[in-house]
This record gives sequence, structure tokens and C-alpha cells, in this order.
Amino acid sequence: MLRMALAWAAVLVWMPRMEAAAPARSGPNPDAVALAARIDKALDAAWKARKITPAEPATDGEFLRRVYLDLAGRIPTVAEARTFLADTRPDRRQRLIADLLSRASYARHMTTVWRRLLMPEADSNIQFAFLTVGFDSWLRKQFAENIGYDKMAREILTVAIDQRAQQQIFGNDITKPTPIGYYFAKEVKPENLAAGSARVFLGLRLECAQCHDHPFASWTRDQFWGLAAFYAGLSGRDNGGGFVTPEREVGDRREISIPGTERVVQASFPDGGEPVWKFKAGSRQTLADWMTDKKNPYFARAAVNRVWAHLFGIGLVEPVDEMAGGQDTKVYHAELLDELAKAFADHNFDLRFIFEAIAGSKAYQLTSRGAGPAPLYSRQLLRGLTGEQLFDSLAVATGQPNVLGDDPFAIYFGNQDARGQFLTKYGRQSGKPSDHETSIIQALLLMNGEFVDGATHPSKSELLGALLEAPFLAEKSRIEAIYLATLSRMPTERELEKADSFIGRAAAATDAQQTRTEAIADVFWALINSTEFAFNH
Amino acid sequence: MSFEPSRRAFLRTGAASAAVTMSGWFGNLARAATQGSAKPPRACILLWMNGGPSQMDTFDPKPGTDNGGPIKGIDTRTPGIRIAEHFPKLAHFSDRLAIIRSMSTKEADHSRGAYLLRTGRVPGGPVRYPGVGSFVGKELDQPDAELPCVVSVAPFRLLNPDAYGPGFLGPRFAPLVVAENNIYANGNPNAQDIDKMLKVQDLDLPAGVSANRGVERAAFRDEADSEFLADHPGRAGDSHRTAYRRAEVLMRSKAVKAFDLNEETDALRDKYGRNLFGQGCLLARRLVERGVPFVEVTLSSAPGVFGGIGWDTHGENFEQVKKLCAVLDPAWSTLMDDLSARGLLDTTTIIWMGEFGRTPRINQSKGRDHWANSWSTVLAGGGIKGGQVVGATTADGMQVKDRPVAVPDLLATLVKAVGLDPMKQNDSLIGRPIRLVEPTAAPIKEVLA
Repeated sequence: MLRMALAWAAVLVWMPRMEAAAPARSGPNPDAVALAARIDKALDAAWKARKITPAEPATDGEFLRRVYLDLAGRIPTVAEARTFLADTRPDRRQRLIADLLSRASYARHMTTVWRRLLMPEADSNIQFAFLTVGFDSWLRKQFAENIGYDKMAREILTVAIDQRAQQQIFGNDITKPTPIGYYFAKEVKPENLAAGSARVFLGLRLECAQCHDHPFASWTRDQFWGLAAFYAGLSGRDNGGGFVTPEREVGDRREISIPGTERVVQASFPDGGEPVWKFKAGSRQTLADWMTDKKNPYFARAAVNRVWAHLFGIGLVEPVDEMAGGQDTKVYHAELLDELAKAFADHNFDLRFIFEAIAGSKAYQLTSRGAGPAPLYSRQLLRGLTGEQLFDSLAVATGQPNVLGDDPFAIYFGNQDARGQFLTKYGRQSGKPSDHETSIIQALLLMNGEFVDGATHPSKSELLGALLEAPFLAEKSRIEAIYLATLSRMPTERELEKADSFIGRAAAATDAQQTRTEAIADVFWALINSTEFAFNH
Repeated sequence: MSFEPSRRAFLRTGAASAAVTMSGWFGNLARAATQGSAKPPRACILLWMNGGPSQMDTFDPKPGTDNGGPIKGIDTRTPGIRIAEHFPKLAHFSDRLAIIRSMSTKEADHSRGAYLLRTGRVPGGPVRYPGVGSFVGKELDQPDAELPCVVSVAPFRLLNPDAYGPGFLGPRFAPLVVAENNIYANGNPNAQDIDKMLKVQDLDLPAGVSANRGVERAAFRDEADSEFLADHPGRAGDSHRTAYRRAEVLMRSKAVKAFDLNEETDALRDKYGRNLFGQGCLLARRLVERGVPFVEVTLSSAPGVFGGIGWDTHGENFEQVKKLCAVLDPAWSTLMDDLSARGLLDTTTIIWMGEFGRTPRINQSKGRDHWANSWSTVLAGGGIKGGQVVGATTADGMQVKDRPVAVPDLLATLVKAVGLDPMKQNDSLIGRPIRLVEPTAAPIKEVLA
């Protein structure tokens, strides 16, 4: 079965990038601006109460780079950086946030982020990798059209599982947007589906209780299987090699027997609530009704907490997938989380709204400069870039937006495209970005690897070539352009001097012109290999 | 042979002291290593059989039975121990082998099985566990080492990258990978390509960048970086700088000559076998010699065998296994011989395993399918009492008859054999300390020397 799936995928052709145009927005959303102010009020009060002095506000350059990496998944181009840094309007930051949220790159970046959350199996098991084809294009559509988060979740939870589902995965319409791959990745097993939906949609880690009542957590085995029972009507067939395809569904099954035991558990919600069964509504519909209800105690909070963690590196509750009942659960600001969750639900679970509000807060826009602990978001943290963020930023910095291809089949062709090759070597990280560590292989790849070498080579790099050939540019402007391209900011006086003297030494060399060209390329290389480039800060 | 029997060379003083002051965790490592430095360094070589090797056709032959197939058994140096006819050379080293015929596990899918065998944990939970190479390598690592503490030769990671990763230990303990395999790579490269594949990638400066220029631009980077690092002190930046430092040490390192197999005689290279696995085993010896504590070499293809998951013999099992063993037998036996001749076999533990075994029943395509219920692994060399068989399966091979061994038991045995405590704890970054091996593990006492 494995080989069949691989061979099947290998005959498919490169899927063109889906760049659905999003409706342009006119400017900042006043409700989001108001919510940003409430975030700052809540944090201000908490800082005062605990005698915490917040860090300074971020400079425009710092903010610019951070907000691009967080909302577009890459750094800004030189032109984008220049435009923003020249903007003097007082609401320029709010405007940039609103603008970024309406771009296709937002949908693209969010697809990477949420697919990794919803379907981590596709990164860890090649048999599932091809499921991302339909799933990613479905996700991208949701974000591009800004579909409510409740509707997204409901579609995942209730998508019809029938013969057509199978055709969609193996048939000619494999590229058609559909969340159906989710069920294949979870091997159509009620326990996997329960664990996955609890972790992402509810922020609960119930699976520790799968085998027995866990000594560290408050969840019981019956609670876990009570949730799994909503999926009990699904059945799949292992075609050999561990690839399970859904067969049929008994839509109204409401109980499940715990494997290896005599015990049968009735469907029940983790908060102890008894399901109200409606006429003709299937079990999964009943679960989706409860989960996406505005009054659900977990759903909106889990989503908002993830958005917060996306923008700060740490959630308002940690761990983000164990928001209640865990031995190590830490709640940093419960009231703020509740307020954000309520606003999110009141705005019909509009993710762009919540991103806009949090990114618009003063807290998000604090500097990352400073030492020691930064309690309660009183300073931004250094966050490591994912492989995708790093590659896409390299492509932008080195003037190669054409390599931003997004070939979902790349993996089957031995990752032959530049992005796939880079990601295979660099690794697709899924750990906490604030706990980022760099490996030797990653350092070697960035220092000596083919992609960076080509991109920083005086005769191979387009950006560098253009820079070197512009005769009207003073050396100072060249250095500024290199700083803008890589670090999205102007160099300081000292940096300018250092770079200038580094390049200036070339004048004494025998082949002054060649040496000077190399020295400029080396400045470029050095900034790409700097710590500042490697982090979102 | 012009090899200089040095242990790890020391870093230049400056780099070493910079590294040690980096942060607390580095300092702890340094202390731990200094305390243990009186003992000869221990090492482990994992021979990973990708795809799940057939126990019936390797170490648990059942000739003359329906399930046994056409494979014959042969005598070994140890009276009473018989293995498959494919291992005439390895049979001479049976006094150093402990054959475990009673592995009994529950994961019969490549991805899940690989995760279970390689981390000792059931896949699927929220914790990302480190692979055995990373957690053993970390414990045996020395802070003055130029080479990384775990090297992975020719891995095929696509089916489950997490099974090969450092998990919560972080990239600092990620394996240095050479000759990465994938389904489109040529599993049977020619001799020249093998030499190239077995080198560390991106280790050399790009063409056109002189050594002098390399040093100068790195120095400029460090200077340009200093302001940012001063403004953002902490673990994240330190880790980044440490990785660059270690990468640069590796670039200049003499120890990296380990990857230059041309230093070996043709006769010895021929004996290992002029294929990726054979030369990979030779590389493993060279790395162990230079103090790398954990090396794994993957066998996933052989001439005429699908490259990638070669042991996944759903069809034509007997021919495929024969071809794979024709690569395995000379490589493994020469490795034992070579380590022994250099006095390294007593401090180097070898473990042979795949993600599961194969069905005793032969299917209609003369193949064997996935089977986790009763299968074999082998421990050998340092810390292992050889010349014995642990456990037994029933005559039809379908059940473990005696002394079932679970994965944590196997890994705990390995960990003890290299002189470590399986119950040692690591911080997991999720708050709970986590032991090297599941606390339920019972090491196989009778095989520990």
C-alpha cells in the first residue's frame, strides 16, 4: 500500500500555487483597535500590581520585521521596508497589520502553521504526506476567504465520510480543497480523532488517559473514551502497511468499547455535559454543535491562546494544548484570555480580527532588547524561525521570490526544488519557537550550502548583481540596501563604519575590483548568517 | 597504517573556554565528562535494518518446517547455536553475539515500529522523545569533542523523521547525517560516489571562497553580531552561536579526516564490501576510534534490492534476504574483527535491529509481511556476554515460547552495556523529567557481561 501511494503520487504533476486573491480592506478595524487598547489596559494593570517595568517600544524596523514574519511568514522586501520606514502617519503600524492580514501570503503562512497543528502526521510519515495536497488547499481557502474559525472546525469535524471520500483522495480530483485527509491521517481511529480534536480545538491533552487514569492529569479514561465515542460510528480498513481508508459510517453510534476491555462508554463531553441528541443529527454533528458553541468553555479560549502564542512565543496559558487539567499547566492571565475569547466569539470567530487586535497591542510592539526573564509579556522574546520562514526570508533577502514555489509533491521527487532541498536538510521544526536551538548541520547549511552560496555570490545573485552594477550608488547606500534586504532596518552609524572599512580594505589588494566585489558579497553573507537574521525578535 | 591512536583532539583554548561559559547546561556536561574521564570511552554502533528483517531467515532459522522456507541453518563457533546459512563469516564471531529470539512488540507499521524501536517509546503522545543515538550520545559526549556525539550513516528517515531526531534534547544532540537516503537516491552507488556520500555535507567552503576569506567573513559576522547578542542575551542566541562555533571547529578539525576513507588500505575496504553499508561500517569504526560515542549505519538496499526499505520483503523474500545478507555478513564480521584488532571491541557495543520482524507464514508472493509478535535482535561486543541465545519461539515461529523481551528491556540492556544508568533523568522542556528508558524496563541480565 505504501508503495502504491508513493507511485500514485509520483505520477501526479506539480500543482500550481493557489494564490486566491483576498478582498482588499480599507484600513484598520475600529473594533480591533478598541480590543488592542483593552489588552494594554489589562497588561498595564497586571504589570503595576506585580511591579514589572515593561521594555521599551520596538522601533519601526523591529516591528516591521516581526509583523511580516508573524503574519506573512517571511521578512519584507527592500521596497516594502523602505515604504514602511518612510511612512510617518501615526497609525502606520495598524495599517500595515490590516494590509498584511488581507494578503495571500497570510493565507499561505497560516496554512503551514495550522496544517502542522492539525495534521502533524503528514510531516512525520511519508504515507500521509500526499494528504496535504487537498488539505492544504482547503486550509488556504479558509484563510484567504477568512472563513469563521467555528465553520472551519465544524467542516473538519463533520465532513462526510463515504465512498466519495476515498475517491477524492485517490481519484483525479486529489487537488480539490477538502479536509477529508484529516481522517486518513488519523487512521479513521476514534481515539486518534478524539486526541487530535481535543488538543487543537479544545486545548486539552486527553490522550494520556487513553490507557488508564493518569496520575498527573485530572482526566479519566472514561472521559477520554467518552469523547472518542462521538467518532465510534466510523470504521476503516487497513490495506496493509498501516494505511487505513475509511469505509462507512454509522452516523448515530453513541458508544464505544474500550479496546482490550469489556467496558462500554457512552458519548459525553469532557466538561461532563450530557449530549442533547437531536432528531437525525449524527454523533459528529452533535459534537461539532457543542464544540463550536459560543458558550463552549474551551473552544474560543484554545484558539485565542494559540494566536497569542503565535505572536508572543508563549501563550496566556501554557502548554497551549494542555490548558486545563495538566500537572504543569500555568495560567498567566486568565481574565485577559477570557476577554479575548469572548470578543473572538462575539465577532463570529473571526481570526483576522483577533490577530489584528493582538498584533495592534502595545505589548506585541515592545522591543525584544533586554536581559533576564520577561514576565507577563513585558518584553518580546527571541523566537527561532521555522524552516519555511527561514527559507522564504532567504529568498526575499536575496531577491529570488521565484523560488517560493510551493510544490506539494516535492517530497516524492526527492525534494528536488530548492525549497524542498533546503527544508529537508534544515528540518521542519515543530518545537516551541522560544526554545529554539540550532544544529551543526543547520549552521553548515547556512554558511556553506548551495542556496546561500548562490544567493550571496557576486555573479550568481541577482540582488547583489544589481547592487554592484548600479554606478550611481555610493558605498554607503549599498551597505544600507544590504541591511534593509537582510535585517529590514538601516544600519547604525557604527555598523556603517565597520562595513565600510571592511570593504575599504580591498582597495589595498592587488586585484582591488575583484576583492571589493567579494568584500561586499561577504558583508551580505555575514548578515544572512547573523543571529539577528536567524531569529524573529 | 598511519593512524595516530589519539582520542579526541582538544579545541583551541579560546573556543573551548568560550563554549564552556556559554551556559549552564554546557557547564554541567563538562563536569560530568571530566569525572568519567579516567575510564576508556564507551561507544555504541547501531546496525539498523530498514524495513524489518526476517527473523526466520537470519537468526531464528527453522529449516524443515512449513514456515522455515528453503533457508538452511549453519553451525557457529558456539556449540548449539545455529543461524541462517547467509552468515558464514559472522558465524566465527558467535562467541561475541547475544542473539535475542524473543522480541515481542505491538507495532507492525514501519513508521510506528521505527519510532518504538529507536526511542523506546510508543508513538503518538505529546512528548517528542529523543532517539537512542541522541540520548546515548548525549550521556557519553565529551565537551572537548570536535566531532558530534552521534553520527547517522545512510539513514532513510522519510517514514518517520521523529524516530531519528533528538526530540526534546534539541538540535545540539541531533545526529550528524551523512549519505542520507531517500526513495529516489541510488541505493547502490558506485565506489566513487560512495566516498563522496560518506563525507559531511557543506563542510567545505564554497568553491571560489579562499580559506583566508572564509575566516575574514566569519570574523566580520561575529563582529556584526556582537551588538545584537549584547542586546539580546540568553539561551537562544547562545545556542545559535554555539552551533556556529562547533560547525567552524568541525570545518577546521583534523578529526573530520575520519570521513576520508581513502586513508584505509584497499584490502580492508574490500573486506568490508565496496557498498554503502560496508563502507559505512568502516566509517563507523573510524569514528568510534576518534571518540564518537554513537554511530548508526543503515542497511536499506543491496544490489538488486529496492533502495529505501529493502528489508520490507513482501515479495520474493528469500532472494531479497540473500542479497541483503551478502552485504551484511562481510561488513558486520569485518567490523567485529577490525574493532577487536584495535582493542575497541570490548568498549564498543553493537546492536543489530530493525523496526519489527516478518511473518513466519510465507505469503503467496513468496514474501513475508510485517510481524511484531515474535522476532529477533542481536547484541554484540562491549559489555555483552556473547555465545548465547536469549528466549525462543515455537516450532512454527508464531509465538514467543520463552522469555519475551519488550523494547524498553532491549534498550535498557544496551544502555547498561555501555555503562550508563537507564533510569538517568533528562529535563524534557515540558516540565517533567524523563528517564532514558521507560521505568518499566528490565534489562536482560544474562547478556550483560
